[in-house]
Amino acid sequence: MSQKIRIVTATSLFDGHDAAINIMRRILQSKGVEVIHLGHNRSAHEIVECAIEEDATAVAITSYQGGHIEFFKYIKELLDKNGASHIKIFGGGGGTILPKEIEELHKYGITRIYSPDDGRKMGLEGMIEDVIMLCANGHTHNGKIKEPAKGKYPLGEAHNIKHLAQAITSAEGKSNTTDDIPLNTAGNKSVVIGITGTGGAGKSSVTDEIVRRYLAAFSDKTIAVISVDPSKKKTGGALLGDRIRMNAISHPRAYMRSLATREDNTALSSVAQQAIALCKNEGYDCIILESAGVGQSDVSIVDHCDVSIYVMTPEYGAASQLEKINMLDYADIIVINKFDKPGAEDALMDVRKQYKRNHQLFTAKDEDLPVLGVCANKFNDEGINHLFDLLSNKINDKLQIACPSKIAGSVKKEAIKKSSIIPDSRIRYLSEISETIRNYNNWVNEQSTIATQLYQLNGSITILNKTPEK
Amino acid sequence: MNIETLKDKYLELQQKLHPDILHLLQQWKALQEKYAAQSFEYSVRGKTVRQELTGISLSGTKIPKVLLPQYKDWGDIVKWQLQENIPGSFPYTAGVFEMKRQNEDPTRMFAGEGSPERTNKRFHYVSADQPAKRLSTAFDSVTLYGEDPDRRPDIYGKIGNAGVSIATVDDAKKLYCGFNLCDPATSVSMTINGPAPIILAFFLNAAIDQQCEKWIAENDQSLWEKVDNIKAQKYTQQPAPIYNGALPAGNNGLGLRLLGLSGDEVLPPDIYTTIKANVLQQVRGTVQADILKEDQAQNTCIFSTEFALKLMGDVQEYFINNNIRNFYSVSISGYHIAEAGANPITQLAFTLANGFTYVEYYLSRGMHIDDFAPNFSFFFSNGMDPEYAVIGRVARRIWAKAIKHKYKGNERSQKLKYHIQTSGRSLHAQEIDFNDIRTTLQALYAIYDNCNSLHTNAYDEAITTPTEESVRRAMAIQLIINRELGTAKTENFIQGSFAIEALTDLVEEAVLMEFDRLNDRGGVLGAMERMYQRNKIQEESLHYESLKHSGELPVVGVNTFLAKSGSPTIIPGEVIRSTIEEKEEQVNNIIAFHKRNEAIAAKKLSRLKEVAANKGNIFMELMETVKYCSLGQITHALYEAGGQYRRNM
Repeated sequence: MSQKIRIVTATSLFDGHDAAINIMRRILQSKGVEVIHLGHNRSAHEIVECAIEEDATAVAITSYQGGHIEFFKYIKELLDKNGASHIKIFGGGGGTILPKEIEELHKYGITRIYSPDDGRKMGLEGMIEDVIMLCANGHTHNGKIKEPAKGKYPLGEAHNIKHLAQAITSAEGKSNTTDDIPLNTAGNKSVVIGITGTGGAGKSSVTDEIVRRYLAAFSDKTIAVISVDPSKKKTGGALLGDRIRMNAISHPRAYMRSLATREDNTALSSVAQQAIALCKNEGYDCIILESAGVGQSDVSIVDHCDVSIYVMTPEYGAASQLEKINMLDYADIIVINKFDKPGAEDALMDVRKQYKRNHQLFTAKDEDLPVLGVCANKFNDEGINHLFDLLSNKINDKLQIACPSKIAGSVKKEAIKKSSIIPDSRIRYLSEISETIRNYNNWVNEQSTIATQLYQLNGSITILNKTPEK
Repeated sequence: MNIETLKDKYLELQQKLHPDILHLLQQWKALQEKYAAQSFEYSVRGKTVRQELTGISLSGTKIPKVLLPQYKDWGDIVKWQLQENIPGSFPYTAGVFEMKRQNEDPTRMFAGEGSPERTNKRFHYVSADQPAKRLSTAFDSVTLYGEDPDRRPDIYGKIGNAGVSIATVDDAKKLYCGFNLCDPATSVSMTINGPAPIILAFFLNAAIDQQCEKWIAENDQSLWEKVDNIKAQKYTQQPAPIYNGALPAGNNGLGLRLLGLSGDEVLPPDIYTTIKANVLQQVRGTVQADILKEDQAQNTCIFSTEFALKLMGDVQEYFINNNIRNFYSVSISGYHIAEAGANPITQLAFTLANGFTYVEYYLSRGMHIDDFAPNFSFFFSNGMDPEYAVIGRVARRIWAKAIKHKYKGNERSQKLKYHIQTSGRSLHAQEIDFNDIRTTLQALYAIYDNCNSLHTNAYDEAITTPTEESVRRAMAIQLIINRELGTAKTENFIQGSFAIEALTDLVEEAVLMEFDRLNDRGGVLGAMERMYQRNKIQEESLHYESLKHSGELPVVGVNTFLAKSGSPTIIPGEVIRSTIEEKEEQVNNIIAFHKRNEAIAAKKLSRLKEVAANKGNIFMELMETVKYCSLGQITHALYEAGGQYRRNM
């Protein structure tokens, strides 16, 4: 089987025009490509770091804000300098990139810049087919791993991200063959944290916040994230979108790899275990495995990790729904994200009750349970600080290794006070406004009807007054 | 039935009439007489203005400026006054002012290219001979995303392109030098959002230092020596910053003598404080600073949404505490929502909903509605759709009703003022000459609808940066409507049209329905988390594109009425770009700025972070921080204090 095409999509630095790249990435996905989407405003370094870590076939970037000559050339330079010349570069920018500039970029080694003329001649689909054809033509490393330059890793990273990325690709190519657990990691001191939960619960935000705190707490340790997303059965393509939310991951001590489940359509790709082993082998101190939330199969994550976290939101329906969630039996820590949502306190209570039932802990104190509310979208959220402390303690307990806890000083154990931009009592402000206006309009109609009737009566009275009495 | 029964019925019904309504009916005759007169007097900012109420056409016809309906039925008269009314009266459907301001066309002077010097020259060029200097500033993308110029290639290529490069208070001083920023006839608008508070602090400091200069010149010339001495002490390692090149015609150099210094380094503290207080009360202008629509449509968010809102709130609080009344702290913008593909109803609904979200947030911080609502302004796009004929009418009416009846705000708070830019998206890269026709029609919608300020796009914007020639033509569109078109002399020309009234009601209800949909998703912020606004905008964009593609939506010269040549897309031969010299200048300036403030900058930044950590007013501190720190230094410090924006999909 030929190697899967993986393409990193983004807009250039300081460029918010993401409509075109969003259309392009959708067509790429529909044609069976695995797309790692970074979204708008990405620096050359971020894009190249991502492309190397993800062992991408190509990067596809739009640039509508000018400076494209410098931008595309810089991408090429960074790729070349870091032993990644095999990664192809595609781009477009409508009319902002002039024909002679396209020529200049092609001469410099940019694979292909598409012009509005190309768009008209080839159509959107045609352009994407061209990208795929050019990708398939020169697909390079065939799983053979090039040795890193002595003592220096790509982009000045702490480990050999390129070596690791290509090794994971090789493992992916050979999935389904069970004989290939390649590395003996016994005695390895790396910690594996598993994060799972329903789609949209905010797993990647929680992951990002953990990574950020980890990098800040340990100035000499490294962290890797393996993130698994489902492939589309129909097209074979996949949107690997977790990276878009990650702000902390572009760091010399951090690695991230997005995996698609491919044929094996379960929450965890069969390659995940090998990827973890490879990260351990490369020397990463902490590895986070984040899995797609696809219902019941997500329990399998506990087999892969030392500590597991289940991420959910207050919006799960009735309390009885909680009885169906297997992870409430297995997870070491349960996180209720989006804790600023209405009903969050109730959710915390319900989940704690369920946890007590599941674990026969009927006498345990609420605040001693590993169930907590967080707002991962809030900066320096107290709940996430608490989670990080709890995580450090669990790791210490489970692995008997010293993992310093308490990054944020003393975090109080009681449930975190929620704070939100719009106070809870005002959350229905828009409906109150539309109601106010509709009421006003109704009142106007009523009053105007009365005024009309008065006008009519007044007219009649006037006419009658003028009529001489018989 | 006898007459007494009718009279009883009359009295009975009269009891049901609200006293205000009775009053409206009673004063109707007087109102008609007032507008039938030759002229009337009214007051603006305490000054009495006498205004003619009629004009004379070439044929000798007396043309009234404001016309009232000829209704006889009291019900119609009541309804008209409650839903329409004359311009300047609740619910302000026809406009927020009684009369248009004389001799000030709502024309903005747009610039933003290359270095601050180049843009300053351009500002002086476009505003020459105009009594009112209404300067609109476009910033380059490096500035829009809160970074400093740098030699790193992915930054370098963007310095000074499609906007001016501004990274320090020195840059701001150069940009606006020669314009007295405290002159009531000068107003400055700044199109900036993510880093808006920092750029605003640059601007206000530039304005304060201008007046410090004026104070020295007018009160104590001997202080110039002190200025020279301080500069000599401060600039031993490197030359003091200068305005590069000759000053353009009309630029008297105001604002340059304290370049590289802050007024408080020279003047006694009490004098500096007094000058600062006066300046803050005088400056006129607008900063866009609308972070909600950035997340929904335009993508120049840099801070986490919550922190960005906190910053906006801090700015508003500072405005209130310092009595900044002539400056709009936010321009709540639908323009970018429409440019991203939203239809006019969605544009209007999302924008108003964003406005009410700011209202709720500021109220929750303890600010009073009448202290902040007058600092709000709005900004819409006008395209070709019929709803654009009433976008201002509906916006004003909804805002006024809600502020009066829901938030109990005063009249000043009830008045929604807005800027219109004609739709860039409606311009096409084929048959670009036709674009001026589209812009003209959109401008006509805007002027008939009594917009408070208007920008008309140049016809070549679809393919390149506009030239002097195309900008002049765009300006002419407004001038021709305002000065030549006879019907535009009547200030409520579209009032009373069956079609306009029906459309107003329909659009109002459609907007309220969208409010309800947003409400069901947890309000504006809840909907944003689910990407509701983004998805809706995308869907509507797709709908438009597919109709355009199929030809169902005719676009002349694009999908119908093609020329023999097939009306090909025009590709520009050259595009205006910033020069290497300008980029080098900006990079060297920022290096020098960092170097000379190296020691003090670190202290100022850690103080800023401290204020943020203690939930203090960050903007108040920024007013000090910007004296010694650059844009990029400040944004990075604030990322540590408040978090970076997290993209979503």
